[in-house]
Amino acid sequence: MLRSPLVLVVALVTVWFIATFLIFPSATLLIGTFFPDGQLSFRAFEKLTSSERAMNSLWHSFLLAGTLAVTVNVVGIFIVLVTDYFAIRGARILWLGYATTLIYGGIVLAAGYNFIYGRYGFVTNAVGNWFPDIDRDWFSGYFAVVVVMTLATTTNHMLFLGSSLAKIDYQTIEAARNMGAGTVRILWRIVLPALRPMIFAVTVLTFLTGLGALTAPIVLGGTDFQTIAPMILTFSKSSSSQDLAALLAIILGLATIVLLAMMNRAEKSGVYFSVAKVATPLQKQKIPNRVTNGVVHVLAYALFVVYATPVLLIVLFSFVDSTAILRGMITWDALTFENYATVFGTPSVLRPFVVSVIYSALASAIVVVGMLFVARVLQKYRNPVTGLLEYLLHIPWILPTILIALALVMTFDRPQALVGGQVLTGTTSLLLVAYIVVKIPFTLRLLKAAFASVPESLEDAARILGAGSMFTLRKVLFPLVIPTAAAITALNFNSLLDDYDAAVFLYHPLFQPLGIAIKASTEGENNLDSMSITFVYTVLLMIIMSLAMYLVYGRSGAASRRARRRKPRLIP
Amino acid sequence: MHKRTVTASSIAFVLLSTVALTSCSAATDIAASGDASGTLIVYTNSNSDGRGEWITEQAAAAGLDIEIVGLGGADLANRIVAEKNNPVGDVVFGLNNMFFETLKAEDAVSAYTPAWSDEVDSTAGDTEDGAFWPLVEQAIVMVYDTNTVNAADVPTEIADLWDGDQHTGNYEVNTALGQATPQLMLASLLAPYADEDGDLGISDEGWDQVQGYFGHGSPAVEGTDLYARLIRGEVDFGVIPSSGITSRDAEYGTVTGVISPQDGVPYVTEQIAVIHGTPRQDRAEEFIDWFGSSDVQGQFAAKFAAYPVNEKARVQALPAVVELIESLPKQDIDWALTREHIGEWIEKTELGYLP
Repeated sequence: MLRSPLVLVVALVTVWFIATFLIFPSATLLIGTFFPDGQLSFRAFEKLTSSERAMNSLWHSFLLAGTLAVTVNVVGIFIVLVTDYFAIRGARILWLGYATTLIYGGIVLAAGYNFIYGRYGFVTNAVGNWFPDIDRDWFSGYFAVVVVMTLATTTNHMLFLGSSLAKIDYQTIEAARNMGAGTVRILWRIVLPALRPMIFAVTVLTFLTGLGALTAPIVLGGTDFQTIAPMILTFSKSSSSQDLAALLAIILGLATIVLLAMMNRAEKSGVYFSVAKVATPLQKQKIPNRVTNGVVHVLAYALFVVYATPVLLIVLFSFVDSTAILRGMITWDALTFENYATVFGTPSVLRPFVVSVIYSALASAIVVVGMLFVARVLQKYRNPVTGLLEYLLHIPWILPTILIALALVMTFDRPQALVGGQVLTGTTSLLLVAYIVVKIPFTLRLLKAAFASVPESLEDAARILGAGSMFTLRKVLFPLVIPTAAAITALNFNSLLDDYDAAVFLYHPLFQPLGIAIKASTEGENNLDSMSITFVYTVLLMIIMSLAMYLVYGRSGAASRRARRRKPRLIP
Repeated sequence: MHKRTVTASSIAFVLLSTVALTSCSAATDIAASGDASGTLIVYTNSNSDGRGEWITEQAAAAGLDIEIVGLGGADLANRIVAEKNNPVGDVVFGLNNMFFETLKAEDAVSAYTPAWSDEVDSTAGDTEDGAFWPLVEQAIVMVYDTNTVNAADVPTEIADLWDGDQHTGNYEVNTALGQATPQLMLASLLAPYADEDGDLGISDEGWDQVQGYFGHGSPAVEGTDLYARLIRGEVDFGVIPSSGITSRDAEYGTVTGVISPQDGVPYVTEQIAVIHGTPRQDRAEEFIDWFGSSDVQGQFAAKFAAYPVNEKARVQALPAVVELIESLPKQDIDWALTREHIGEWIEKTELGYLP
């Protein structure tokens, strides 16, 4: 494999990057925390195991992750089927409603649901008017957190499962039908098995999201259902407790890696050529049973309403004065443009937007391009070395972003030979490095799954026809994974746009990113409009993110549809 | 077949890289250590509510070119410590004495005696070494709305809130121990129970207080202001820094009452210092001399309802602020002990006592 110059370059760059930016900083930090005086300290372990609260929170995190791995798959697959597989009236509109989770999340999403169903939410208020005896706290605890997070994390299903579904050869479905298989049987035996690599990949991501759940439990969990992430956050900010934060994060990270290993095994044991050699585009399936059809329609639209309401509310709230929101009484008088005036009245309000757009665009482009090559090499050459490299690239999942950022600051505050004797702390480049680092595992995981569904025969054909490896990669393989890559780029871009955790330690004073600017404008003892200002920023972010989704995903989606139509001619 | 997408994105990429590279080269002027020119970088957690913009403008009028970097207290202190081998900031102000004690212990700030040093009470800053100097004082108080709470129902001591079940669930406790105010509240609860033989320097009785305080309280709701909860009757009491009272009374129509315990309430003092190792030492000192002067502090106090430590500046402070602060006795807190143990106290509370 090393004879190929492409593989050699990819291998060298990957090894250098892993050594410099993944292993070296993390090792520096972890050795400092767990070997404070040159000796292994079990302090963190003892502290945690003797704390009932820590153990409970940890258990809650795992419970949540396990639950979500099931519920998100159920809802996510349902969404993908009603928008892309079954013939449902108004599927495009439904898609837009379900896609709202692409453009917002975090505190705003949790708050949005709380404003609807929470103790002072208007659904609770409305029901309370009819039945004064209801428990006003009905929407809190485990149940509420699971509901909100299930709805909020179907993003990956929509994008990646959707694109995998589109690649299924319709002829297999037709063949099954001709052989007398019913709708359910075709779904169960033909469609879902072909989606398995992607289902594995998004399940790992869902599990990880559940383990790291932060804002939904804080807002909706109440005292009964608190998770471990808030504790990790508090501890990672206190130098004397960083060992606890690191240990907790490592426990969560290892759990994810174990799941990842299990999924990798399962993925290897099967053969999934979901891309057809003579592709016939998927045609939407009618549900023959009238009753079932009706039920599916009702469910799909009910879900649509649940998805779309919080977004509409957030847009509405951005025009309402904050006291009215907090009192839960919104009248016509409360409508105002003042929140927008406050945001746009701040001097140089646009600059953080520009800074963050540049950082996010650069980081998401670099990470996707880099991982395209890495994922390809890992996919093609399976041996212990590439296996090790793959696991090393998941290091960023083991540490929380805050600790990664701290590790980078402390490692590169002196000239380091690995980066040519440069001091990176205090420069603009370190934040970019951090953004690339934190996005590696997610990108790699999904790109690998995308490559896994490309049949090797295509590549063999290219080689037999005399194409070089770079040419094959560029002209044959990349086009097949480009829709996935584009979607990843857009998702990475969107999630980095309002990052706070990495930026807080790494941003250059003259280039303030958006996350910091938002935090600054919503903080302050006398800042009573903080929630409204958060909503204004959220609306602005939604606009940018929708634009990014449209530019990258919408257009490449159109391109891949064009490509699919032409494919029979390209690959005979 | 993806020509159009590829061209568009490569053009975008080239454009972005150019912008980023230009910004990098612009940035190296400032980042390079040992360079005495360039903008003075001022780190602070006290830039919100328009303070940052006001200070930048006033400084520019006084001929000082500064750039404010505003972050939350704990984050800022961590950042300064993490950067201490290659400092990015030149001056830091606004953090409370507890954070400054940490910065001093980490050698992240260096001593400088400002021109206005004889106008402030030196015991409010770093009495021993003069590593940091006091600017503004604040009380951390337990408040209620006199419109809804009867004077007869208001306890005289804060500890009465969790003595018995009368007030259970009726006062807000902030559980975000990474933030400054909850940390100070914790320090205040533990201060009377300092005991060398106790766990982490605190007697068991002290830890019982912490357990009582968090166990009987109603946890703060992320994104919901204390006063919003007060007016909808969710809770009757809660803790805020004194500087936040005036604007809330105006916004929510409340008339705030403050519990004034016998032993006093915790006071914090926001400080200023030069960051150790800055290449712009002279200009950092110039900024401190200017910002801490009675004239600037007086204007700052009048504009942002602050209570300045500078005695000459105090005449310009708002009468309501002066009246409130001077009516509240100061609790005696051993700051050296607090700084030494606060990390462990937070850890113990987080692991054992939070609801």
